[in-house]
Amino acid sequence: MTASDISDKHRFLAQGNVYLPHIMIIEKIIEETPGVKTFHFNFKDEQIRDEFTFESGQFGEYSVFGVGEAPFCISSSPTRGDHLEFTLQRVGKVTNALHRLGVGAEIGFRGPYGNSFPIDLLQGKNLIFVGGGIGLAPLRSLIWNVLDNRDKYGDVQIIYGARSPADLCFRYDLDAWGDDKTVDVITTVDRQESRVQSPVSRVEAGNSRLQSQESRVGAGDSRLQTADSRLLREGFVPQVLEQVAPSAENAMAIVCGPPIMIRFTFPVLGKLGFTPEQMITTLEKRMKCGIGKCGRCNIGDIYVCRDGPVFTYAQIKRFISSEH
Amino acid sequence: MGIKKIAKKDIGNLLHQWGKDYTILVPSTEGDTALTVHGSRFTVHGLWDGSDVNLDWHRNTVKPPKSNFLPPMEEMFRFQKGKEGHSIELPQEERRQLIFGIRPCDARSLRLLDMIFTDVYQDPYYLPKRNSAVLVGLVCLRPYDSCFCTSLGISPGGSDDVDLLLTDIGDEFLIEEISDKGKRLMELTAGLEDATEDDITKASEAKEKAYGKVTRKIDTQHLKDKLLSSFEDETYWEKVAAKCIGCGICTFLCPTCYCFDITDEKVKKQGARFRCWDSCAFSLYTKMPMENPREEKWQRVRQKVCHKFEFYPMSFDVIACTGCGRCIRLCPVNWDICQTLEGIRDRGGDHQ
Ligand SMILES: Cc1cc2nc3c(=O)[nH]c(=O)nc-3n(C[C@H](O)[C@H](O)[C@H](O)COP(=O)(O)OP(=O)(O)OC[C@H]3O[C@@H](n4cnc5c(N)ncnc54)[C@H](O)[C@@H]3O)c2cc1C
Ligand code: SF4
Ligand code: SF4
Ligand code: FES
Repeated sequence: MTASDISDKHRFLAQGNVYLPHIMIIEKIIEETPGVKTFHFNFKDEQIRDEFTFESGQFGEYSVFGVGEAPFCISSSPTRGDHLEFTLQRVGKVTNALHRLGVGAEIGFRGPYGNSFPIDLLQGKNLIFVGGGIGLAPLRSLIWNVLDNRDKYGDVQIIYGARSPADLCFRYDLDAWGDDKTVDVITTVDRQESRVQSPVSRVEAGNSRLQSQESRVGAGDSRLQTADSRLLREGFVPQVLEQVAPSAENAMAIVCGPPIMIRFTFPVLGKLGFTPEQMITTLEKRMKCGIGKCGRCNIGDIYVCRDGPVFTYAQIKRFISSEH
Repeated sequence: MGIKKIAKKDIGNLLHQWGKDYTILVPSTEGDTALTVHGSRFTVHGLWDGSDVNLDWHRNTVKPPKSNFLPPMEEMFRFQKGKEGHSIELPQEERRQLIFGIRPCDARSLRLLDMIFTDVYQDPYYLPKRNSAVLVGLVCLRPYDSCFCTSLGISPGGSDDVDLLLTDIGDEFLIEEISDKGKRLMELTAGLEDATEDDITKASEAKEKAYGKVTRKIDTQHLKDKLLSSFEDETYWEKVAAKCIGCGICTFLCPTCYCFDITDEKVKKQGARFRCWDSCAFSLYTKMPMENPREEKWQRVRQKVCHKFEFYPMSFDVIACTGCGRCIRLCPVNWDICQTLEGIRDRGGDHQ
């Protein structure tokens, strides 16, 4: 780490103290799925509001005062908007407390922490984004970043899956990307809620967009009457990836999702000819400090908060089979 | 460099003098174990005369000095919700501390902790305490059987990690200046005598003898690589961890363990955020909604050992153990780090 990197990291400290949160105001709340919400939020202090910058892939420590802190990635893109966004699944104490908040409520935020997606490495390449469930949150920041600098990148393909149609996050983004002729979006669910057909079996290899009506789920689910439903497939993300079979040539794959999806996706990419250096992912470990001090997020000598959360498969290969 | 001395009976006066500028922490016995005692009893109430400072006892304390820089529980800030929203208030700066009678191993442990608390981000709680503190070291004349500091480049007979160093030479302590900070303190200290040649000779003899009294050894050569290659050996680690009851004592009382948790307390509209000692000996420490990378006890024991002898060396080029022996003598089931490390060496050898 060079001196300039270090001073850069110290730019946004509250009162010079790395553990002090900035006070943030929630400006908007979007219910993504029954258990997942996206919050648009902003600094209360206008000066830092103007100065604050971050990179796609970085995270922050968010707090509800009196309840506690938890890490979430910044799900918005640094290229868009005058506010920040984070998206979180309700799983426990802090996430429940956050989900109970309304527009106008105050939360604490410190960050940005961690490294980021290697933009330099990605430029000029064909990009394959592979996401599962809420794993689209960090990917989404990067995807918008890429699309806002579209001419700097090659083909863009997005393969996104969720457990069921109701679990798909960021439908408005999936729609927008689907409408973008320069982007290839493939959406899949592990299981359709009402089983009409098995669209996967009907897809011709190479045809990533499924036009047919059959993939549409029964009338019961109004959520699916959006543009992305015309693309909805059935099958696990790694399987769909294998069918879609993107070329590894001049390509990079960026994979974010539940650990199990990640574990099954790497071998598929390997089969398709991707080297470990061409596969990028984010790791998730339990975190408290977010800055390499509290000790808990390590795998071997790597602290995910300090050295990650973005890694190439080459960097973490040795840890994937047996977790540290 | 002036070498001074002070009569043991005058230690109380010396501490009184220093107590005007510092909070004094002294080792003191309770039962038959030395505890580090906060000197505020005399600075605040003027009652204590320094008579129960127990330096003759020559045994190291149970609680390591990290507790004075990374307290078991520390308020990070307070918050309050008012009409204008939340406000945050930092705690008052504390008085500088003088740690009296710190052993060479423990002084080294603070050096090791400095590495983590200055790594990329400066820790705003640990560092001010650490930078303002004075360490008055004491040559360790009666190491425990469980001590193995000499295998880790530490000598019970000397230290570069303290500001002043005391050596017991009978009825007196020899006082040496080790750092600039120590030198400045000495200049401001009244009532010290110059040491004689004879005193200095006596002190050197005592120091040399001290070195020989540490008989327990570990072999650190290639240890990092052996640990690296033992990582997947579940059978070995299960055997090592078998008797551990996962109480966490070895980590709480290890002078180089620093893991902490961050947690909030709130009553009505005000509260505080705290950091508290935590431990890799507990499975909750790493538990996540979908999985836990260290669900099994053997994985946690492995983490404790590898952190000190493999990961710390990879990050900072130094082993994060001082050989103080606390984890050996204070473990309720006699778990022994030296045996584990010995086993690692054998595993990599003919026995494999
Ligand atoms: C770098 C990083 C980025 C993340 N980004 C997102 C995101 O964008 N969206 C999202 O929904 N989640 C994200 N997470 C996971 C999120 O941090 C946890 O779900 C959250 O901390 C749970 O807090 P809680 O208080 O609600 O849970 P708790 O009440 O503490 O516990 C509920 C469950 O969550 C586990 N857990 C608690 N704290 C953590 C933690 N810090 N990390 C992981 N698991 C934990 C507990 O062991 C338990 O199983 C991210 C985690 C990391 C490390
Ligand atoms: S003190 Fe002993 S029993 Fe307790 S966690 Fe450490 S090794 Fe295990
Ligand atoms: S691991 Fe044991 S011997 Fe080493 S510093 Fe910690 S308590 Fe002391
Ligand atoms: S979260 Fe504290 S060390 Fe990584």
